[in-house]
Amino acid sequence: MGEPLVNETGGRIIDAGTHLLDRQISDKDGELVGKVDDLELTFPEGGAPGASPPFVSAILAGPGALGPRLGGGVGRVVSGTHAILHPSTRPGPARIAFGVVTKVAANVELAVSRDELDVVRVENWVREHIISKIPGAQHAPQ
Amino acid sequence: MKKLLEITLGILTAIGGFVDIGDLVANAETGARFRMSLAWVVVVGVIGIVLYAEMAGRIATISKRPVFDVIRERLGPRLGLVNLVASFFINFLTVTAEIAGVALVLELASNVNYLLWIPLVALMVWMVIWRVRFSAMEKIYGFLGLALAVAVVAVWKSGQTHALLVQATHLHPPATESWPRYFYFAIALLGAAMTPYEVFFFSSGAVEEGWTPSDLMVNRMNVYIGFPLGGILSLAIMGGAAWLLAPRGISVDHLSQVALPVSHVLGKIGLVVFLFGMFMAIFGAALETALSAGYAVGQYFGWQWGKFVRPVEASRFHLVVLLTIILAAALALTTVDPIKVTEYSIVLAAAALPLTYFPILVVANDPDYMGDKTNSKFSNALAFIYLLLLIAVSVATIPLMIVTKAGA
Repeated sequence: MGEPLVNETGGRIIDAGTHLLDRQISDKDGELVGKVDDLELTFPEGGAPGASPPFVSAILAGPGALGPRLGGGVGRVVSGTHAILHPSTRPGPARIAFGVVTKVAANVELAVSRDELDVVRVENWVREHIISKIPGAQHAPQ
Repeated sequence: MKKLLEITLGILTAIGGFVDIGDLVANAETGARFRMSLAWVVVVGVIGIVLYAEMAGRIATISKRPVFDVIRERLGPRLGLVNLVASFFINFLTVTAEIAGVALVLELASNVNYLLWIPLVALMVWMVIWRVRFSAMEKIYGFLGLALAVAVVAVWKSGQTHALLVQATHLHPPATESWPRYFYFAIALLGAAMTPYEVFFFSSGAVEEGWTPSDLMVNRMNVYIGFPLGGILSLAIMGGAAWLLAPRGISVDHLSQVALPVSHVLGKIGLVVFLFGMFMAIFGAALETALSAGYAVGQYFGWQWGKFVRPVEASRFHLVVLLTIILAAALALTTVDPIKVTEYSIVLAAAALPLTYFPILVVANDPDYMGDKTNSKFSNALAFIYLLLLIAVSVATIPLMIVTKAGA
């Protein structure tokens, strides 16, 4: 990603490389969702590639997006882990449509709850099968 | 009043973090072998940790980003992952050393072999993390760890303070030790003073406690009072070993020797107080290091982390903490020498310091994160000198480890 991608949110011009990638994502309740591990770019419909610039259509998060970005053997291990843990046979990375992004600040904030997102599947699995089985797992935040 | 209480976060990191198994072992061992000729390293280490912990706390307060969040964002996924793997491994050795250290203190108090205590200690560490409130946790172990101050009393009552201060001006190894060993132990002392988990824990703690810009003063007070306090305790432990152990040729290869100067001067009661202080300080550090394992991994991957949400809401974070404690206890149970694990953990921590401190320095200067709360020219100049020092240490560590056969 040599050329910095430009996207307008609330009139502010942000640099995708420094202000989006690797930033923390939080949901509508302020709970942490994941990192902006990669971005999905889409060419405007009808426009031939190269005619008009692509736009950021989604945030890609989780090991399915992190693996290819890491590259090499380690990247393959991360992608492979994603494939093993995922129910589909050839899973793509977890996708968060850019339309639900409300704010790009210290965190990239979303208008939805993290429970509606595919990226927290492993978190939910660990919760369901391990952590919630331990007495006291439901006790109040401290 | 509330502000006054918050300063305890710094005191915990000073006592349970500054003085942990690493400091106890490194300072006592150095005192016994090099007398006070390496005392200056403790001062250098205290200034370094004050400088960088203040920055890490300020970054966490202003930008709401704990250290590993910053590392991932500034270094990117690849270099960030290298950093995570190295930091996690060193921190894991530290967790092992702390758990074994608590068990060793219990052995001294009970005459029951430390290996039998390890499973119980691991369970206690996990249960406190699982159930005790963050703020209660830091206050309890912080204040009770202050019992270690009995070491300062012992040195003062020994009447040797002046002689020790004179010794501290001799900046060369005693005739029995070589220069490479002198520098190897200097690195160990620096690693013990500036251990990376201290900034992981300190900055994550600031987020756990929900610090706001009005807490910046608290941050500074914590760091400026807490860490020098830890440094004085460290020097007292070194001093005790320098006047009692060094002349008699007693080397430190067990925790009992660390306590000898205190029991020699203050008798049984002093020993009981010192053992209690060691227990609390090392136990506090075990909590901090185990939590730091979860903080580092969670913040790299962007998972929900921390004790400020219900455990079920931070499942992966709690799983990492739990597995770290289990595996560390398992490693300690292999009868690996806990003192050796401690020595390796602090020396490797010193070698890895630039990995943590460089991103902190970069972000502390970035107005994008910090607004008008970026570093002053003075702290930048000092931090830059430290960074050069840490890089030199990092380069020298492995060759010195080989040349000196790990300080043997």
